[in-house]
Amino acid sequence: MIEVKDLTKSYGDRLAVDNISFSVKRGEILGFLGQNGAGKSTTMKILTCFMPATSGNASVAGFDVFENPYEVKKRIGYLPENPPIYLDLLVSEYLDFVANLRKIPRGEKKKKISSVLERCQLGDVRNRLIGNLSKGYRQRVGLAQALIHDPEVLILDEPTVGLDPKQVSEARGLIKSLRSERTVIYSTHILSEVAATCDRIIVIDRGKIVAQESITALGATTKTELVVQRSGEEVVSSLRALSGVKNVHYQSNGKERIIVESDPTDDIMAEIAKVVVNKNAGLVRMAPIQLALEDYYLGLISGKRGVSI
Amino acid sequence: MRGALSIVKKEVYSYFLSPVAYVVLGVFLFMMGLIFAKFVALYQQYNMAQQFGQAQGITLDKLATYLYQNMAFILCFVTPFLTMRLFSEEKRQNTLELLLTAPLKESEIVLGKFFSAYVLMLVMILVSAVYVFFMVLWGNPELKIIGATYLGLALASACYVSLGALISAMTSSQAIAAIWTFIALLFLWLLQTLGSGISVSWGPIQWGPTLVYISPLGHFNSFTEGLVHIKDVIYFVSFTLFSLFLTHKVVESNRWR
Repeated sequence: MIEVKDLTKSYGDRLAVDNISFSVKRGEILGFLGQNGAGKSTTMKILTCFMPATSGNASVAGFDVFENPYEVKKRIGYLPENPPIYLDLLVSEYLDFVANLRKIPRGEKKKKISSVLERCQLGDVRNRLIGNLSKGYRQRVGLAQALIHDPEVLILDEPTVGLDPKQVSEARGLIKSLRSERTVIYSTHILSEVAATCDRIIVIDRGKIVAQESITALGATTKTELVVQRSGEEVVSSLRALSGVKNVHYQSNGKERIIVESDPTDDIMAEIAKVVVNKNAGLVRMAPIQLALEDYYLGLISGKRGVSI
Repeated sequence: MRGALSIVKKEVYSYFLSPVAYVVLGVFLFMMGLIFAKFVALYQQYNMAQQFGQAQGITLDKLATYLYQNMAFILCFVTPFLTMRLFSEEKRQNTLELLLTAPLKESEIVLGKFFSAYVLMLVMILVSAVYVFFMVLWGNPELKIIGATYLGLALASACYVSLGALISAMTSSQAIAAIWTFIALLFLWLLQTLGSGISVSWGPIQWGPTLVYISPLGHFNSFTEGLVHIKDVIYFVSFTLFSLFLTHKVVESNRWR
């Protein structure tokens, strides 16, 4: 659906996007992860034909963004970092204007507007001035603007910034509900968001793609924390002998703390528990550590992998 | 063209949401009212004088010329307030991103913006037609001359608005857009006076007449005298089209700059 090849964008001397390539399949939700200024927004602006690349190619639904921007724009819904809203219009007036810009046939306009108002839960503010709305509502008006023409491809630049926790989960739910009918690219620097919504992530740092993996692949290793009362070293050595275990860290200061990196299957968990119990080590605590993604991300950004806890 | 039309619709609507349209219309009509009062006073004075055989040759049409030349000058002051927000406000609020990522051609955006300010301008010019009504009521003006004058006003204001749109596209500050539009229009206007005092020539180019030709003043004045020269029409139309062409390029350049 989206193909990006050797894309480079420089602002003067500064390279914002440095030779990146990736592709997104139809119906996939792709998380674009990176620090502020890593090049996420720039890549999105190129894909939406807002700015051209310095070199390289990008195409959406088979149309090149440089040669056929009109066809690309028709198929894309785009929510920029700052929602592009007119503060002096009512929500309904604004959506009507966007519907006209998007060339939605007059007959369908009313239906589309009310459906998008409902989906973004804007029904009760439809007759309020956008300028008087809170940040969260404005963000949702921006999202409504991106969804109004039922685009095949949605490009959302930090869509959950400024929303309160309840709205964040609603927005995630909305984005998830688009899965399989739409292709979504979604940028954020919030990790839990990616884990909650995306099928696949691309981590981008200083304009370069540093990792491209599916969420399930990221979950390939889980960490389990064990705290025992005695004979920690014996437990560690027998844990190391287990087949699904990849790495074991051991700390002993007063309490004996063991961190096991292993495959995420239930079987291996049962095995680990069995070993500890068999050694009669006095198990105090056995808990999964759900930091895999964060760990992975920080490792990438700081340049070394596998930072432990 | 539906995109352009919906931009016009929204922009004209926005003008009347903010005080801009009311203030501009009010100020314009107030100033024109002052000038019209002066015009009426002059007309009475000359009528009186003519009864005693003086001030021969001064007709209502001559006086109307004075009225409309002033009006064209006042429109220079009014234009910046109408055009300043066209693009600069979109840039400041990041809504240009909405327009440029919608399936619109840049030309639709530029035309939409141009016509939204131009429609308002035409409304103001039309409101001033009440003066014609009074002239017909109390005097005997040559309506063909007035028709030519209104054609001239429509053409001149198109060139003002296009220049304003161009300057607005170059900045994200409304104030800067307004100030530069005003300076540019005033400068063009004054070229007439400036040029007529210069007798330097460079090769075949006579600087004086060239500057005079660039100024819209002379072109407009011939309309007020009832002369519709094709060269003046071409001057205004090409001025407008050239400004709009440059505006189009500036808007386009937002994409690659």
